Formats: sequence, C-alpha cells, structure tokens
Amino acid sequence: MISALNGAFDDIFRAMKLRRVWIALAHEDIGDQHRRTTLGPLWLLVNYLAFAGTFVFVFQPAGKDAAGYAAYVAIGLMVWFYLMEVISLSVPLFKREESFIEGTTLPLFVYVMRLTIQSAIRAGYAVVGCVIILLISGPSLTPAWLWSLAGLLLILLTTPALITVFAFTGAFFPDSEFIVGNLMRVGMFFTPVFWVYNGQDAIQTYAYLWNPFTYFLDVARTPILIGEFPSNAFAVTGITALVMWAIALLLLGKYRRQVVFLI
Amino acid sequence: MVSIKLDNVSLVYKLHEKLTLSAPDRRLGPTGGRIEGSGRKQFVQALDGVGFELKAGDRLGLVGPNGAGKTTLLKVLYGIYEPSGGNITIEGRVDALFNINIGFRREATGRRNIVLRGLINGWSEAEIEEKMEDIIAFSELGDFIDLPFKAYSQGMAARLAFSVATALEPEILLMDEWIGAGDASFQEKAKRRMDELAEKAGIIVLASHSEGLIQSVCTKRLTLKGGRVESLTAVPVRSAEAALASP
Ligand SMILES: Nc1ncnc2c1ncn2[C@@H]1O[C@H](COP(=O)(O)OP(=O)(O)O)[C@@H](O)[C@H]1O
Ligand SMILES: [Mg+2]
Repeated sequence: MISALNGAFDDIFRAMKLRRVWIALAHEDIGDQHRRTTLGPLWLLVNYLAFAGTFVFVFQPAGKDAAGYAAYVAIGLMVWFYLMEVISLSVPLFKREESFIEGTTLPLFVYVMRLTIQSAIRAGYAVVGCVIILLISGPSLTPAWLWSLAGLLLILLTTPALITVFAFTGAFFPDSEFIVGNLMRVGMFFTPVFWVYNGQDAIQTYAYLWNPFTYFLDVARTPILIGEFPSNAFAVTGITALVMWAIALLLLGKYRRQVVFLI
Repeated sequence: MVSIKLDNVSLVYKLHEKLTLSAPDRRLGPTGGRIEGSGRKQFVQALDGVGFELKAGDRLGLVGPNGAGKTTLLKVLYGIYEPSGGNITIEGRVDALFNINIGFRREATGRRNIVLRGLINGWSEAEIEEKMEDIIAFSELGDFIDLPFKAYSQGMAARLAFSVATALEPEILLMDEWIGAGDASFQEKAKRRMDELAEKAGIIVLASHSEGLIQSVCTKRLTLKGGRVESLTAVPVRSAEAALASP
C-alpha cells in the first residue's frame, strides 16, 4: 500500500517535471485534428452551438421557463460532452499510446496529462459557446457564477483521476471499451442533461439521485440557474473525486509497470 | 563511472493475461521463441538467466536468430520492461533507438520534431536550442528540415533519429537493428560518432544481423539463443574499411 503510493507519486512527480512534453503533445494533437480545415478548432465551437441550439429548439418548454431552459441545456451539454469525451478517450488511452509506451520510458502520467490538457482545450471552445448562449438567453450575472466556476474547476481536478482509472480498466479489460462506449451513449438519457427533473416517475428519480453525473452537472449548473451554492452536489462530486483519486493512485502505483505487457 | 551489470535476468511475456469475453483459444501465441504452458496460462520465456557485465568503453554487439531476445534485452536495459527475475545495475545516462518513428509526428516539421524529441528525452529548452543546428547539420537534411516529417524517406528519418539520439552524448546508447536504413555515407558517419562516444568512456549496445556492422563497431559479441546467453566473446579488431566492404 505505502510502496504503491510511493510508486504512484514517483510517476506523477516525474511526469510533472516533463510537463512541457504533454503540453506540447496536446497542442500538436489539437492542431493535427484540425489541420487543413478552414475553421480549425473553431469547428469545436460550431459543433457545440449546433448541438445546443438543436436541443434548445426541440425541447424548449413554452412560456416563461424558456430562457432558463436554454441556460440549463447549454451548461448541461457542455459538462456532459466533456465527461463523455474524457471517459471514452481514456479507455483505449494506453493502447493508443502503444508505440510511446513500448519505445520510451516516459511515466504513464504523461499520457494522462496529455489527454487532460487536450480535453480541457477542446472544452474551452464549448465554454465560449456556453457563455454566448448564457449572455443571449439572459440569466443575470451574479456572484453565484463564481460557484459554477469552482464547480468546473473541481471537475477539471477530477479529470486526471478519471482518465487514469478508465485507462487501466481499458488495459486490463479490453471489452470495456465497448461497454463504456454503450453506457456513455445511453447515459445521456439517464442523466438530466437535457430533461429537467421534477419528481416524476420512479425511473427518473433513480436516474437523477443515483447517478454521479447528475452531481457533476449540478455543481456547474445550479449556481448560475438558481443563484445558490449547491452544497449537496459539491459534497457528492468532491467525494467522488477523492475516491477516484484514491483508486487512481493505487492503480498507478501497483500496475504501472505491467501496462507495457498488456497493450 | 559508466557501467552495466546484469545478474541472472529473466523476462517472461504472459499471454492471455487480459480479462476478455472472447473464447480463450481464439488469441494465438507467437510463432518463434520458447512458448511454454498451455491453455489460458501460456507464456514466452524471452530472457532466461542472462548475466554479463559491461564497463566504460565497451561496445557490445547482440546477435542471434529472430526471436532470440535481442529486442527484449535492449528494452530491459532501457527500463521499459521490468525483468521478471534477477538484478540489473546501470550507471550512466541511457538513450535508445528502437523504432525510428517513435516520438516523431508525421504532420510536424523536422525542426519541430527535434524539439519534441528533445523534450521527450528530458532536455531543457536551452539544450534543445543549443543542439538544434548541430543536429540539423549532422543529419544532412538541408532544406527538408522545414518540411513535414511525412515527406521523409525511411533513410532520412533514420538520419534524424540518430542525430537527435546522439546529440546530447548519452553515456549509454542502445540500438536495435535499424541503422541499415541510412545509406553508406551516413552509416560511416554514424560509425564515427559511435566511436567518439565509446572513446568518451561510453557504452554502446547494438543488436544487428549485419556481421560487417558488428565487426566495425563492436568490441564484444553476445550471442543469444532462445533467451539464453550462448557465448560472450571479444570481436577481433578489423579496419573499418575492410569491415564495411564485407557484407
Ligand atoms: N509483446 C510480446 N508479447 C509476447 N511475446 C513477445 C513479445 N515481444 C516479444 N515476444 C517474444 O519474445 C521472444 C524474444 O523476442 P525479441 O526480443 O523481439 O527477439 P529478437 O529481437 O531477438 O528477434 C520471441 O519469442 C517473441 O515471440
Ligand atoms: Mg528484434
């Protein structure tokens, strides 16, 4: 246990010293994905606006809730797409980095951070889109928005742990790529991304209360929409983050030298 | 003091280690080497009781048939694989050339790739800056250095990889049967650089099927077979011209 933690911290420490590697690689990744396109990464913004716009247009309730719903969907989709992208790209992470893992001695956490940065940069474009929708649809700017910012920061801090856990899962259990892929696709309907919970039927209640993603969405959404600090959501998200980090450190410490034999 | 010491090192590749929903016998084992065990618990004994010692100035040629364990041994020395048994003690800064393309990005220019490689090798920005022109000059890529890497031939890629790997004068250099990709004049140049490296009290370990290369570069020869050391002998000194002339 102690030696596993030492191993994990050693890996993370070495990766932090190599931070220019993952920052450079993440930028190359984003650049490569959009090379030869006219809009470049601005496509990420266009994609987000198109998606959020469609949801608002199709599902918007009539009457006075309309503006609130646009903000609800805008923030919900932003966080959901971020988490979905992070999780689905993490599962095959070590497989994707195979040639590096088999040819260099870079610490594994370098690949984790490379994906973290890459996802954060991509999410940045969605954040811009989200702010545009918020400004148009009009919930007024209040100090409570800072809580949303704190919520996003909490999600960002959880990201490396999520990536580590799912990447090891993918390395040890190759079928998980497809299982997780399906779950994430279905998950959008079981998570209050675009539907609003108002205590309807049993399934919705379970999907709302027992789904950790609900709370990840709420830490970013509730402060802006309701104007108050969602202590419950912050507590659940914070505990999830701690549990994820604990698992991530154990996996990294115990199994990091095995990954090269598994991919 | 630069040195390498291996004591009874073994390495086992386990097959079927992963949890999978597919039927156990659908995934096939390798065709060469030593396969042991059966059913779900197959494994390949890639290295078995390997022991030797190298000191400053040694240039070791690794020879042996395909599947003998040369690549595996180099990766154990580099630290990519943790051995399944035995002890390794290495003193000195190690650099390695396994796969020419590792760490090179196809879309980026040669110049940008030198920066990325340097960062991956743990160099500081100043070191990269300082070595840049040397690396470009040694690689003889000329104006190609500002074209994307995907426009390079294998030989050009090998030149760039070798130039970067040796630019910071690693104390220990590991190389895996790749150098044949460069043309004769570059091989000659690469050989001279390896000589310099060894003269500065470095260690070179080179896996190759080319007898000429082994004879012109190496001072010792380690023959592997089925993961075991078959022999460790001194290579008789020959002039470089004679060695390169013979295949
Ligand atoms: N990733 C791997 N998984 C399972 N077996 C492997 C793997 N890599 C190499 N081997 C096996 O280990 C043995 C030694 O391989 P290698 O070191 O590549 O030999 P060489 O480089 O001398 O040709 C071979 O039997 C090969 O099949
Ligand atoms: Mg080989």
